[in-house]
Amino acid sequence: MNSLKSSDLILVKNAFREYYFKYNNLVEIPPRINEREFGFRSFHSGMIRHLSFENIRQVHATLLRDTPFDFYSSNAFYNSPASPMQEKGWKGADLIFDIDAKDLGLPCEASHRYEMCANCGEIINSTVLPCQACKNSAIRIESIPCKNCFLNLRREVNKLIAILTDEIGIKDDSISTYFSGNSGFHLYVNDFSFHSLDSRARSDLAGYILGNGIGPQVIGVRNGPNNTVSIMFPRTGFKYGWSKRLAKKFRIEQTSSLKLIRYVNKLGGFDAFSKYLTDYAKEVGIKIDPHVTIDIHRIFRHAGTLNGKSGLSKLRCVDIEHFEPLDAACLLNDSVVQVYVKPSTLKFQLKGHKFNISHNKVRLPTYAAVYLICKGLATTVFPGSC
Amino acid sequence: MSLKLGTVDFAKYPFLNEASKFLAESHLELDEFNRPEMEYIIDRAASRVEVEMQGKLYKNLEKHEVEVLTFLAALLIVKLTRVEQILKKHCLFEAMRAESFLIQDLRNERDEKKKQLLLFEIFKELFKVNVDLDPDNPQIFRMKLTDYLARSSHFHEDGWKIVNRTLHDGYVYLDADEIVRLVRNELSNLIYDKIKTMPLSNIPQPILEKANYLAFKFKPISEYKQYANMDNPPCIEHALELMSKGENLPHTARLMLATYMLSIGKNVDYIVALFRTAPDFNEKITRYQIEHLAGHTGGLTRYKVPSCSKLESEDLCFRTSDCGEISNPLKFRRKKT
Repeated sequence: MNSLKSSDLILVKNAFREYYFKYNNLVEIPPRINEREFGFRSFHSGMIRHLSFENIRQVHATLLRDTPFDFYSSNAFYNSPASPMQEKGWKGADLIFDIDAKDLGLPCEASHRYEMCANCGEIINSTVLPCQACKNSAIRIESIPCKNCFLNLRREVNKLIAILTDEIGIKDDSISTYFSGNSGFHLYVNDFSFHSLDSRARSDLAGYILGNGIGPQVIGVRNGPNNTVSIMFPRTGFKYGWSKRLAKKFRIEQTSSLKLIRYVNKLGGFDAFSKYLTDYAKEVGIKIDPHVTIDIHRIFRHAGTLNGKSGLSKLRCVDIEHFEPLDAACLLNDSVVQVYVKPSTLKFQLKGHKFNISHNKVRLPTYAAVYLICKGLATTVFPGSC
Repeated sequence: MSLKLGTVDFAKYPFLNEASKFLAESHLELDEFNRPEMEYIIDRAASRVEVEMQGKLYKNLEKHEVEVLTFLAALLIVKLTRVEQILKKHCLFEAMRAESFLIQDLRNERDEKKKQLLLFEIFKELFKVNVDLDPDNPQIFRMKLTDYLARSSHFHEDGWKIVNRTLHDGYVYLDADEIVRLVRNELSNLIYDKIKTMPLSNIPQPILEKANYLAFKFKPISEYKQYANMDNPPCIEHALELMSKGENLPHTARLMLATYMLSIGKNVDYIVALFRTAPDFNEKITRYQIEHLAGHTGGLTRYKVPSCSKLESEDLCFRTSDCGEISNPLKFRRKKT
């Protein structure tokens, strides 16, 4: 954000302030608000952490007074949330999952991915470094998620919810799904029994969802001498979880030990089978960001606030199947501003409008201009409205 | 529930509340350990501690009157030695002894109600953990995922990761030996607390003599001071201090300590000696593991000291202002020197 010129900052900040005036009802009240750490990234002075608020009115007041670029609250509850980290007194933390389009490895990504110089913001080609304009070699990558991205994200979220409810045992109504305000979804688990889990336990949980660390023993394949195998099927059979998924993949039942041995040997023995299994689990596992789930001291974008990477709102999705993030979460005003768009061509969709830009100098509604400015893909030509 | 645990269960699990009740009902006074017929009990208790100090399980099982009294005498003896290493080791081996009986009982007991009673008395009453029998197969046990994770995440073997377990509807499915292994540390801590809270008055002379004998015989070989060094970062000093108290360090802390010592040039013998105070110390296994970390065996890769951020995520970081912004414990030493 600091690389934005002052007229960009004014435009974005004014649009954000107007949002907090109009939509403060969207800013959610987290459970145990007075036990959470808050923080924000301001337009001018970087990150401020270790704040605490007694009630939502104080949150609203801060959003209006400081109009932050990004506003965060902790997943953790503390005895003393405003104290330095070592003195906060950790009491527990929400369990959170993050699914982002960048982690899905979608083929469409290349068509809406932009590389810029991290220093001067010029559109560059990462194969031709350093930047011709400023000779800097650091690159910034931005993506404009498309319909296909959100289609796949929804599928991934639904798969995650199925695992959380059927296997992890979390009640459907304890899971809240949010559009992150950019290119992903956050799932919050409001289940008291998970609050006390430490990072190691959460890491194990994340590993289960990703399929990390899976071993052949999960379907009963055991290592014998000289790369031979023996089979001892799990006593619970193949009814549940990973053993069910793998049994389906290998088309085996509890009477198919010879078939499974043949399969393992065909792949090259125990070690090769382990490798195959690892790759397969990685492929079918849910593409969550494990760092988010494991971190029990993190501050997360607060629900109902704007995402400084896009100007879109982080919003709760009641019905994800019919939730269109680029329409529902685009809540900035429509007044027209003139901007300079850096890429020579650019296609995107916001608030039900399709934008197909083929000139550098264009007039756009504020919400679209802010979207591109936040992504570093445009800059104001004249400050304020036209 | 009309079903009750039998006296044979008190013999195997003398730490159970029911066994304590039995002791209370028999109105035993500590003075009675001075009586000549108690000599057998006291000798048995001392020899139990002695066997444990040699790193072995005391397997002999007698009738409940003998076992409950031996258990009590052993607790008193261990407390009176005032040697933390003896105390910790005794607690761990008592937990492992109970574990071996419990595995057998859970495997062999055909009466489902009796099995459920054992599960209730041990897991629910002592550790507040619900363990059920699988409704489809009473040979299989199941535990709530959150209860499982709170315990299993301290184990480093891949088999304990939930991705390698059967997981359904918030329950993890386990065999008898697995379910029992999960609570070993808690059982050890329970016995430790029992010892720590025992009042020490009117101690019978024969008990005191045995305690003095064992304290002399098993006086710690290594002392924390021997390894402590101003140049060590606080995480290492903290681990060394815990070792000196006979604490059972988690695998991650042992890895940190061993890789650190190797990196500052200590040899395998030195590091093996350092781990001698661990309650579950086994020289052969410890030597093998350290040689592996040193890159002398296995893939011949020398393991690095974990980074500060990794240690922080494992609750092993005890950063002080002296650490500054270092990213690895080794940098503390370089900074100091």
